[in-house]
Amino acid sequence: MIVYDKTIVQNNELLDEAQSLHKAGFIDKVQYDTIIKELVITKTHDNILVRALFFILGVFLYSSICSFLALISLEALDTNYEYLVFFFAIVGFLGTEILARSNFYGHGLDDAFILGSQLTLAIAVGIATDFDELVMAAIITGTALVSYLRYLHLSLALLFCLALTYTLVFGIFELDESIHAFLPFIMMVYALTLFFSSKTAIQNLATAYYHKGLLLAQNFTLILFYLSGNYLVVRELSVALLGQDVAIGSDIPFAFIFYAFTFIVPTAYLVLAVLKKERILLWIGLLSFCFSVYSIRFYYSIVPIEIVLTIGGAVLFALTLFTIRKLKNKETGITFQPDRFTETNAFLTAEILVTSQIGSIKPELTTASPMEFGGGDFSGGGSGGSF
Amino acid sequence: MNPFKEQKTQELFDRKLITETQYTQVKAYRNLEIFSLHAELKLFLYLSVLSFTTGIGILIYQNIDTIGHVVILGIVLMVTAVCFYLSFKQSKGFDKEHIHFENPIYDYVILAALLLSCIFIGYLQFQYTAFGTHYGLATLIPTAIGLFCAYYFDHKGILSIAITGLAAYVGLSVSPQALLQNNFYDTNTLSYSAIGLGAILIAWALYSNQIALKKHFTQVYLTFGLHLISISCLNNLFQPYWFVFAMILGTTLFYFYKASYKYQTVSLLIFTVVYGYIGANIILLKIIELIRIDEFLIPFFFLVPFYFIGSIILFIKLIKQFNKQKTQ
Repeated sequence: MIVYDKTIVQNNELLDEAQSLHKAGFIDKVQYDTIIKELVITKTHDNILVRALFFILGVFLYSSICSFLALISLEALDTNYEYLVFFFAIVGFLGTEILARSNFYGHGLDDAFILGSQLTLAIAVGIATDFDELVMAAIITGTALVSYLRYLHLSLALLFCLALTYTLVFGIFELDESIHAFLPFIMMVYALTLFFSSKTAIQNLATAYYHKGLLLAQNFTLILFYLSGNYLVVRELSVALLGQDVAIGSDIPFAFIFYAFTFIVPTAYLVLAVLKKERILLWIGLLSFCFSVYSIRFYYSIVPIEIVLTIGGAVLFALTLFTIRKLKNKETGITFQPDRFTETNAFLTAEILVTSQIGSIKPELTTASPMEFGGGDFSGGGSGGSF
Repeated sequence: MNPFKEQKTQELFDRKLITETQYTQVKAYRNLEIFSLHAELKLFLYLSVLSFTTGIGILIYQNIDTIGHVVILGIVLMVTAVCFYLSFKQSKGFDKEHIHFENPIYDYVILAALLLSCIFIGYLQFQYTAFGTHYGLATLIPTAIGLFCAYYFDHKGILSIAITGLAAYVGLSVSPQALLQNNFYDTNTLSYSAIGLGAILIAWALYSNQIALKKHFTQVYLTFGLHLISISCLNNLFQPYWFVFAMILGTTLFYFYKASYKYQTVSLLIFTVVYGYIGANIILLKIIELIRIDEFLIPFFFLVPFYFIGSIILFIKLIKQFNKQKTQ
């Protein structure tokens, strides 16, 4: 099923491991370079900037091919323009196959064709079926799955998860109206089923090829599980999709369940993450906890935002300080000591970017007034001749 | 824990790509089962500093008429002073080399101190117009404090704030968002100042490299310089004197191409290449405009895919060459 030569995929994984050993300081640069020379790998770009550059170029290439084809065929075609879009999708799939066979993997160019082909196919199906979302989602679920199994791109695994979920949701809307009210619970059951099936699949894996994709699916279901019971999501969606009215003083059905869910699930995630030492789960837990706070504040904002920010900032600082003190000298298990295997560089770069955005000093009269920290509402712009 | 990681280490060892000592070291380290919260806790510190200073900023702005000014100023000044005091106490003093606090917490304490002192000075100017109509001074003082802190405490984030302060002094807004939206340099004089400032930043980076003063700051300066000069040159390509700016752009990009090799920075290379490509395409469009394309529309569209294939091959070559010398 996999289009790439299996040994090359394995070499990719070996090189990944060698790279993390190198970054962790277990092997030196000379040795790492010899390993690079030793292993035959795919044409891949690790650097996200380089990959983005080639992605943009790939998009240009794909769209220029399509526009050329459109231009020459428009004179021949008098009616049925919609089939042209199917043709674009075929071009995309062909391009993907050619690039994959020439050993492009995560290069940027192939990303453009892979995502472009799925997108054009979805549009083409949409045009042919009068934008029937159920059919579109169902077809993309299939193509994304097959493409993932063949090209091993994580973006496709994510697309598969999303499309499958959409298919389910739209499918339920096709059913009797009495079932609609149970949508949150159906989604929870669906998320749990998917979670446990991907978990068993990971445990039974013999090779690492599909490991990342399954891991992605597993974490996707965790997020989905949380969102399907989150109070804000349930309430807003039941207003938007099911047309329920929430009068002042009343609440959605089963409200107490969703209130509890909104806080129990993130807490459970956090506890489990620390117990099982799972970093991704920890992040999902943290983000979902923040979203829970936001959800409740959305309806019941007792304290104004600036006080929350100030006090929250101070409390968070104190708590973190306390935790760091506690963990500082631990050598094993949960610790504040930097792990040789985790990368922190990306964080540092992001911090510098954010700092120079938020703390940036701007020209004009507002130059250094307190307003500039008000969340970026005051764009300085060019000040003209005042200087 | 990813079971395949250990399997891969084993495989590397089996293929004699790592030695036995290395293999046992890695295995022993993995057996410690370290779950480091280093990055997460530092991120919390960072977020707490940001939200605290933002909150204080909004609070002051909203209550400017109700609370006594002296009270506000006093509180802000006190917190700032405490932060500065703690940072100075923990600091090892100025050094030309790369230094860092023993405890990374103080990176965030000093950041808070700087942000708060910006608020303090801004408030002074806003409420009491302490600097009168010398608005420049109100920008320069935070910038000066920022530069001092950046060098004394070795803090890249503060350095970038200070550079945005310098830019603000000449009338530019160079926060990343402003750069992305390209909403600066509407006027010619401003773009001249941008090019000038960019050149000064590059010159300073080169000079500090020569005297070995905080060599690791070079990349920050060069990045700002590259974006400032390139974006204002690109904007000026649509102006009457576009030829001059094309020359400046060409020279700058050539320099940065060399610099990216010298300092081994792939991000510099990428942005150099991107700006060069945009510039070249603008000039190409100018030529196409001259030769009246309407009559050759079909051959033109036929050539476009090949043009992109050509540029892709060119880019692949550029990146390959860069990676090659990197491994050598």
